[in-house]
Amino acid sequence: MAERVFITGVGMITAIGDDVAGNLHSLRSQRSGLGYTEYIDTIYRQVLPVAEVKHPSESLFALAGVPVKEGYTRTTLLGLIAMQEALRDAGIEDVQSAPTGFINASTVGGMCDTEKVYFDIIDPEKTGTFLQYIDTLDCADCTQRIADIVGFSEHIATISTACSSSANALMFGARMIRQGMLPRMVCGGTEALTRFTLNGFNSLKNVDKQFCRPFDQQRTGLNLGEGAAYLVLESESFAKANNSRILAELSGYCNTNEAFHPTSPSPDGDGAYEAMKTALAMSGHSLEQVEYINVHGTATLNNDVSEGKALERLFGDKVPLFSSTKPFTGHTLAAAGAIEAIYSILAIRHGLIFPNLNFSEKMEELSVTPVTQLLEGYPVNNVISNSFGFGGNNASLVISKYEG
Amino acid sequence: MKGKCYIQGMAAISPQPTFEGDIFQAPLVHTDSNLLACIEPDYKPFIPGNSLRRMTRTLKMGLTAALKCIQDSGISSPGPIITGTGKGSLQDTEKFIKEIVEYKETALNPTPFIQSTYNSVNGLIALQQKCTAYNNTFVHRGFSFENALLDSIMMIQEGASHTLTGAFEEITQEHFYIKSRIGCWKSAPVNSQDVYQQLSPGTIAGEGATFFTLTDAATPQSYAAISGFRMLYKPSEEKLATTLRNFSQSADLVICGRNGDSNHEHYYEVMDACFPGVPQLPFKHLCGEYDTAGAFGLWLGAWILKAQQLPASWFPMQEQLTAPVHSILFYNHFFGEQHVMLQLERV
Amino acid sequence: MEELKKKLKEQIIEALNLQDTKPEDIDDNAPLFGEGLGLDSIDSLELMVLLERQYHIKVEDPREGRKILQSVQSMAEFITSKQPA
Repeated sequence: MAERVFITGVGMITAIGDDVAGNLHSLRSQRSGLGYTEYIDTIYRQVLPVAEVKHPSESLFALAGVPVKEGYTRTTLLGLIAMQEALRDAGIEDVQSAPTGFINASTVGGMCDTEKVYFDIIDPEKTGTFLQYIDTLDCADCTQRIADIVGFSEHIATISTACSSSANALMFGARMIRQGMLPRMVCGGTEALTRFTLNGFNSLKNVDKQFCRPFDQQRTGLNLGEGAAYLVLESESFAKANNSRILAELSGYCNTNEAFHPTSPSPDGDGAYEAMKTALAMSGHSLEQVEYINVHGTATLNNDVSEGKALERLFGDKVPLFSSTKPFTGHTLAAAGAIEAIYSILAIRHGLIFPNLNFSEKMEELSVTPVTQLLEGYPVNNVISNSFGFGGNNASLVISKYEG
Repeated sequence: MKGKCYIQGMAAISPQPTFEGDIFQAPLVHTDSNLLACIEPDYKPFIPGNSLRRMTRTLKMGLTAALKCIQDSGISSPGPIITGTGKGSLQDTEKFIKEIVEYKETALNPTPFIQSTYNSVNGLIALQQKCTAYNNTFVHRGFSFENALLDSIMMIQEGASHTLTGAFEEITQEHFYIKSRIGCWKSAPVNSQDVYQQLSPGTIAGEGATFFTLTDAATPQSYAAISGFRMLYKPSEEKLATTLRNFSQSADLVICGRNGDSNHEHYYEVMDACFPGVPQLPFKHLCGEYDTAGAFGLWLGAWILKAQQLPASWFPMQEQLTAPVHSILFYNHFFGEQHVMLQLERV
Repeated sequence: MEELKKKLKEQIIEALNLQDTKPEDIDDNAPLFGEGLGLDSIDSLELMVLLERQYHIKVEDPREGRKILQSVQSMAEFITSKQPA
């Protein structure tokens, strides 16, 4: 029988905090990270809200503990900060101390920096240090720079399945552990805001000019965010032998494709339904044992209908408490799955249910509404965390309390 | 790697006439532009006109290679769909970057943005095939296709009877120029068929879309078995040599990614030393260098194992096979960073 | 209005790359989406881009867009209503 997979370390940086403790504090204070961009050169600076990490890239070098150097993109720096916290949190001083793999996730690689110099790069008349950024556009760049600094030399990979990327990274790492390929994996994703992505989602007409309102009748779209998050996964036998502190168990997961439309989910949430149902079945827990669902909840017209319908189909009239934390962090795309997996662990370990900010009016298509108040001291044993993306790529994770 | 998996179907769109016809009779396509571009097939038999009208080159090549592979395998439902691509649809990425500036961030057409997303080909295959199974896309330079292969082998270990596993890459003129600025390509024009004799910094660019149907059991139609697999990230020469020696003792033939690039030739010399006297087939003069060229090399090895002959015009330097080939060692690396070895066996 | 509709049809064919369709194949009142021309929601976004680039009319709300983009007739009427008399 395949081994259980435990989470033994977490690290993150988002618009609401530079580390896990900072994130927890903002979640508890119900302080949103949404605002307006300081660092992207766009005509939408004062128009489209985003959840930006509150440091210019130059300051991120210090937070990441590396000297300022050309070629390190914001994507890499955010990732490095989260990675170092995750390793510290898991008590790993040297990743070479045990065979350790690294599965990263990214949607647009180093586009945040490349887009600023792209027209110089393609202009034969121009030359300069910007040429150091030529190879940073692809998604492997951030993964390899992080790997090289931290010292990963076993398995490395980068996944890109749009908004479900880091959920798939966690799943892939967990599967490698269960197959006995490696005892320890660090998995997650990193995403920096870009003009490219902002205009992309705006061209799809699904960015809200107000702060995003998941599951609200009046919602008109998402707000983008940035950040990075990594989780250290260990096999049960390794964690026990290593005397690791176990934060929670990654007890179930499912990846499914909806095969419905290039960018939209099906109106009845077939893919979301299947992903949640299969992930929960794998975890061995029943519908009644799920206390909280951290929904994908992007606040686009289509996602929330589809995901809400899937919740009602799966749980009937007993839909558990659910909320979208995207009004705190924005939609961080490749990082979202890992960020929300950490929030799920925080919910379990601190007995918290996070509020779905900005909700006021029930959607006409649904009978359920999200949690709007912070709940403290609420026993949480099993959380479903959803990440659904373009191309019909759906992923659900089940994170469970570790009982010893 | 535990167990084996089998190649039940495959298809390749490449700079050679690989999509249709008999590759053992095919001529050698070559160029002195340092860029080997794909011979694109007629897409209409594969993709309805209404879907085709929006698609750019990579999407058409990826989807069509996938559909042809499904046909070739005789397995109608593709099961898990897992792909690798280093760069995705460059044409769409370039277009969207430029339109943002040209239209000053207003009135932007969303199609290039949607299609620039790395998982868009995977989504299209699933959509076209109504396939709701597992679906994943890896985007890691010379480990893109290889991680897709690893994921597929894991899927089969976990109980899937088969997977659709592939890779796709395009090279645009603009990206060719960008990469030339950091010395990826040879500075003077080289005839692609002479690339191995022209040892100098840089290589020649290429592209391609290659798909495989992998199964858990062999059938009379199987092309080959994949029985061993290792990836090494930035290894030392010593580690590479040790790993290669332990990896394969009994190769009848070596297929390698040698590409005339003097910056990274020493890794292939390490390989030469590990397999003295074993006949060697390099393949980059056929497809050029790109992130997922390894998929083309695997396709070639699988054909040779099944047909027990070499495509004669493609390998004028190599004599035709005199003894049966039972086992092939495949070794490739991408600009010295991602190293891959595969063991292929005759079924 | 007739002139506008003819031009619109040509622009739609070009913008959406409808290679096998000629302007005379498109009926003024036939639905553009679903059954009619078989367009989808991405085409609808592209048509809104067409309105913005060619006629300088911005449609913000996708729900409003769906009404305007029902047919060539409804598009032409909308454009006419937005133009100064």
